Amino acid sequence: MSSSLIPQLPTGPKEPADRAPTDWKTQAMQKRIRRRYARERRFRLFGLAAVILSAAFLAFLLVTMVANGWRGFTRTDVTLPIDFPVTGMLVERAQLDTRGADLALAGAGLENAVKGAASTAFGAGGEDFISENAWLRVREAIKRDPSILDRKVSIEVPASTEIDQALGGKGTPEAEAAVARLQQAGAITRRFNADFLHESDSTDPVAVGIWGALKGSLLTMTVTFLIAFPVGVLSAIYLEEYAPKNRWTDLIEVSINNLAAVPSIIFGLLGLAVFLGSWSLFGWRFGPLLPRSAALVGGLTLALMIMPVIVIASRNAIKAVPPSIRDAALGIGASPIQVVFHHVLPLAMPGILTGTIIGMARALGETAPLLLIGMRAFIVTPPGGFTDPATVLPVQIFLWSDEVSRGFIEKTSAAIIVLLVFLLAMNGLAIYLRNKFETRW
Amino acid sequence: MTDAPHKMSARGVSVFYGDKQAVKDVSIDIDMDKVTAFIGPSGCGKSTFLRTLNRMNDTISSARVTGEIMLDGEDIYASAMDVVQLRARVGMVFQKPNPFPKSIYENVAYGPRIHGLAPSRADLDAIVERSLKRAGLWEEVKDRLQDSGTALSGGQQQRLCIARAIAVDPEVILMDEPASALDPIATAKIEELIHELRGRYAIAIVTHNMQQAARVSQRTAFFHLGTLVEYGETDQIFTTPREERTKDYITGRYG
Repeated sequence: MSSSLIPQLPTGPKEPADRAPTDWKTQAMQKRIRRRYARERRFRLFGLAAVILSAAFLAFLLVTMVANGWRGFTRTDVTLPIDFPVTGMLVERAQLDTRGADLALAGAGLENAVKGAASTAFGAGGEDFISENAWLRVREAIKRDPSILDRKVSIEVPASTEIDQALGGKGTPEAEAAVARLQQAGAITRRFNADFLHESDSTDPVAVGIWGALKGSLLTMTVTFLIAFPVGVLSAIYLEEYAPKNRWTDLIEVSINNLAAVPSIIFGLLGLAVFLGSWSLFGWRFGPLLPRSAALVGGLTLALMIMPVIVIASRNAIKAVPPSIRDAALGIGASPIQVVFHHVLPLAMPGILTGTIIGMARALGETAPLLLIGMRAFIVTPPGGFTDPATVLPVQIFLWSDEVSRGFIEKTSAAIIVLLVFLLAMNGLAIYLRNKFETRW
Repeated sequence: MTDAPHKMSARGVSVFYGDKQAVKDVSIDIDMDKVTAFIGPSGCGKSTFLRTLNRMNDTISSARVTGEIMLDGEDIYASAMDVVQLRARVGMVFQKPNPFPKSIYENVAYGPRIHGLAPSRADLDAIVERSLKRAGLWEEVKDRLQDSGTALSGGQQQRLCIARAIAVDPEVILMDEPASALDPIATAKIEELIHELRGRYAIAIVTHNMQQAARVSQRTAFFHLGTLVEYGETDQIFTTPREERTKDYITGRYG
């Protein structure tokens, strides 16, 4: 054993000459320290200012929405006295118990009878005090109790938009005078409008409801989630855990990132072309494969749009699972699929859910692509299923904000409140699920 | 066992990562009643070689293994060999304790459950208890089996990982620097445990700690730059190494 194998202690460069000890008390040093603290304080103030500014914007938004919107959840009713024997309506009593009741009452001139009763009760022009749909309420009352056709009754019917607006202090002078008269007679009431929550679109702002659009949104979101979540998560698992790393997977990764940045209206065009276009294949022509304006097509289109977001978020969440966990499971003989479903996926789930909810929130608020696939139609009955014509909340808001009638302003705000509540409920659910799946290390 | 006296035997094993050769033509035997220690400087290929013994290198797509590794006379790289079953027979303990973020009970029960080793809940309870006892952890955790495995101390976590490996009743246990992240007391416990497990399982251990190799092993293999420099009885390696490089390494002259 030669001594040359003993490692030599490293000899560094020669120490420079001793320098004077740093004096931390000099003027320059003190100034430097003060400047550093000032910079710190300034930075913290900027941050605080930014938070306050955004909170103020949010508060302003919420306050204006609620201030404008709460009236949308209420309605004005006028108590209308009707003396049915005087109207001279001829109705076969036997028909009122059958399915033909609506037709029989319409045929007997109920609409005109109600208008006439309004003129009688409130003087000339009285028929303008009540909504055009007022006779429908009377019809329901008759169907409930046909005996009222023999006597004089008072029925609460919806007021017209003019009266409704005048009660809110935004009407014409004539309407406000009429309201004053009605108030004196005690014939006008304002109450919570449950109809708003279970009716659909209408041309008359006092008769509109949000339920059709809400149900359309629910159906659309269901389709979107059922398609985008499994496909997105499975793609992410495949790309992260199974796919070889080569030029093709790189290309796929770049494409997914680009897709996430594509404007939503392009996805609308894609949905239009793919799901609703007519195809010609091998000489055979196919008509549109799926129905227009349906929640099914809207959901598929939005699923295409948010899938990249889910894939990217899921891949990042899967990547963040420590490799030692995979080793541990593989080391005791778990198969790759067991490693993924028993260990990787549960640990990645909070991140995956966060990504999914960001995507779903985006889809819920999306309007442009749905306009292109025909979901902007005027739909007066709530969709019964995934293939029925439907509209969604943001499109409904867009349509109402475009209406000329003043009554729609507060309805638009009310619809926005419903949309925000829906969004908050969805986010709340996501936060609950995330906390449930979160693993404490 | 008369035909194949060695539990595992590697013949002419080379491992490539892409173009780079990490292990060069290594031949080693692992026996039931002997602990085999792999020593050598960092990057010498000893961990890579260890991972070929239960095909953990399969997870690295660029890794390629040539040569022959037999387990009870069966080629583990043959296409007929089921990797999942192989890893149940050849268990592994890693450098950093890596319990699952689940309860202590679930950590140990996971292996038997996925391999269907416990037909009933009572059987599973018995396996968990026996494994934790063999890993010397039972007394410390028997009252808190439902606590998270990650809440244990580092040394306890590593013994939990050993219990987890034992629970699937392997024939061979591979340990990749099992005590390098632990304090001296926890290390001593692990070494003691290795002593107790010898004979029941064939054990191969990678270590950076020369004293540890001398204490726990009966056979030592010294790796350097991917080659197996010297391989023999531990007593002989540490007292009268045949190779100059071995001597330099164990006396701390390089590495």
